[in-house]
Amino acid sequence: MIRRFLEATGSYCLFLRQVFRRPEKWRIFWRQFVLETDKLILSSIVIVGVISVFIGGVLVIQTASNMSNPMLDRMLVGYMVRETLVLEFCSTVVALILAGKMGSNIASEIGSMRISGQIDAMDMMGVNSAGFLVLPKVMSATFLSPLLMLLSFALGIFGGWCVVEMTEIIPPAKYLAGLKYSYNGFYLFYSGFKMALFCFLISSISSFNGYCATGGSMGVGASSTRSIVVTSILILLFDLIVTQLMLY
Amino acid sequence: MIKVEHLNKSFGDLHVLKDVNLELAPGKCNMIIGASGSGKTVLLKNLIGLLAPDSGDIWYGGHRLSEMDYDAKKSLRQKIGVLFQGCALFDFETVIGNVIFPMNFFTDWPEEKKRERARFCLDRVNVKDADDKYPSELSGGMQKRVGIARAIALNPDFLFCDEPNSGLDPYTSSLIDRLIHGITEEFNITTVINTHDMNSMLEIGDSIHFICGGTVMWSGDRHSILRTECAELRDFVGANVLARHVISESVSSR
Ligand SMILES: Nc1ncnc2c1ncn2[C@@H]1O[C@H](COP(=O)(O)OP(=O)(O)OP(=O)(O)O)[C@@H](O)[C@H]1O
Ligand SMILES: [Mg+2]
Repeated sequence: MIRRFLEATGSYCLFLRQVFRRPEKWRIFWRQFVLETDKLILSSIVIVGVISVFIGGVLVIQTASNMSNPMLDRMLVGYMVRETLVLEFCSTVVALILAGKMGSNIASEIGSMRISGQIDAMDMMGVNSAGFLVLPKVMSATFLSPLLMLLSFALGIFGGWCVVEMTEIIPPAKYLAGLKYSYNGFYLFYSGFKMALFCFLISSISSFNGYCATGGSMGVGASSTRSIVVTSILILLFDLIVTQLMLY
Repeated sequence: MIKVEHLNKSFGDLHVLKDVNLELAPGKCNMIIGASGSGKTVLLKNLIGLLAPDSGDIWYGGHRLSEMDYDAKKSLRQKIGVLFQGCALFDFETVIGNVIFPMNFFTDWPEEKKRERARFCLDRVNVKDADDKYPSELSGGMQKRVGIARAIALNPDFLFCDEPNSGLDPYTSSLIDRLIHGITEEFNITTVINTHDMNSMLEIGDSIHFICGGTVMWSGDRHSILRTECAELRDFVGANVLARHVISESVSSR
């Protein structure tokens, strides 16, 4: 068990070294980068947006119903919604969702190229298949995913505001005041950093699993399942580590 | 010239290649024949470096494959064209995109010239009016031809074909055989073909190597194969009705 873990980690590192070799042609890299951005980031906007709006709304209702004590200022609802969103939801929870969406997409795509021999064909041409297929995905996921985090944050706040406007559960002015209360810009950076790290893990580990797929379509299925399980656990683990390092 | 010395390869307990020795003639159609599961594909993958042998050497000219570093291997591979058993066309590219793919990486040609070269290769293998189709929309024979066009796109010095005519009708398969033979002579390529197809062997086999039980049991050309003394090869070749007649005639006339 431990040996298998060490072996997998070792080959993952070797794989990363191959991925980060200098691309043969930058023009090809950028073309792939644009394609991957479309496939990984742009196509995730809808799901991230929908989930964020709803969670924002739910957070407002839950927080408000737990703070019925008249001693507490209603403004705190807005404040707490904002902090929950930026600290945990917009990076960690959204990353867990992306682990399913992006991870299975990447692992099954690369896995089926592996078992149909297309990766062998690339290697035989002298093309660095890992670099060509994986580097644009990893770069796009790592550097553009913080934008998804920002989007999720904005839409979560918006979802909360919609609920406040519609239900008057707390006065809208109090909600807005709470949002502005004791604002800490570092939290946004912290959240964006977490998101980038998680999306790096998602894209590189799923690519690695697909790249090493063996045994036909069953193998592709297994590799995509394994990617999601492994990345989900790693996301939670790194969430703990990064939070301890950056916030404490 | 490609030379193989004492090559061994096993998967777990299965010893697929046992002490294989081979010399592949430059500028000729070299055929590797043998029953299904005898290890032809494994041998080919060792030759092109997709599998690493357990022991033994493979020489390209004066260079040992196992001793080449990343860059040397990379530049060797640009001189190798491969047609895989399952074609392995890129399904994210169109037909013409597949042929252009290696050019994108290894030439600085303008787009015009790449298309021109791709058209030339596709014409050479008789693929017409299919430039913008995707591989999944092609028949098996078309896929093989596009695979050949992609393999010769960069004017390789070596061409490896794994079962170029499996699953094709006799007419198309003989067409593909002659195509590969023609390309071999026209561009003076060293071609290596894996097959268990008797017709193509008799039609274009300049030099033939028979693999049985994991070793090369017989080497020769297409004229001597029907008069072979090797019993296993006679059984193998004799599975073809026409060849059986010729063999029994040559045995009875002795
Ligand atoms: N990756 C692998 N892992 C384990 N065993 C393998 C592997 N590849 C091939 N083999 C085994 O090696 C033997 C030779 O296989 P190979 O594919 O070379 O046969 P072949 O001569 O090409 O057959 P065919 O004419 O049907 O293509 C088979 O018994 C196969 O089971
Ligand atoms: Mg085979």
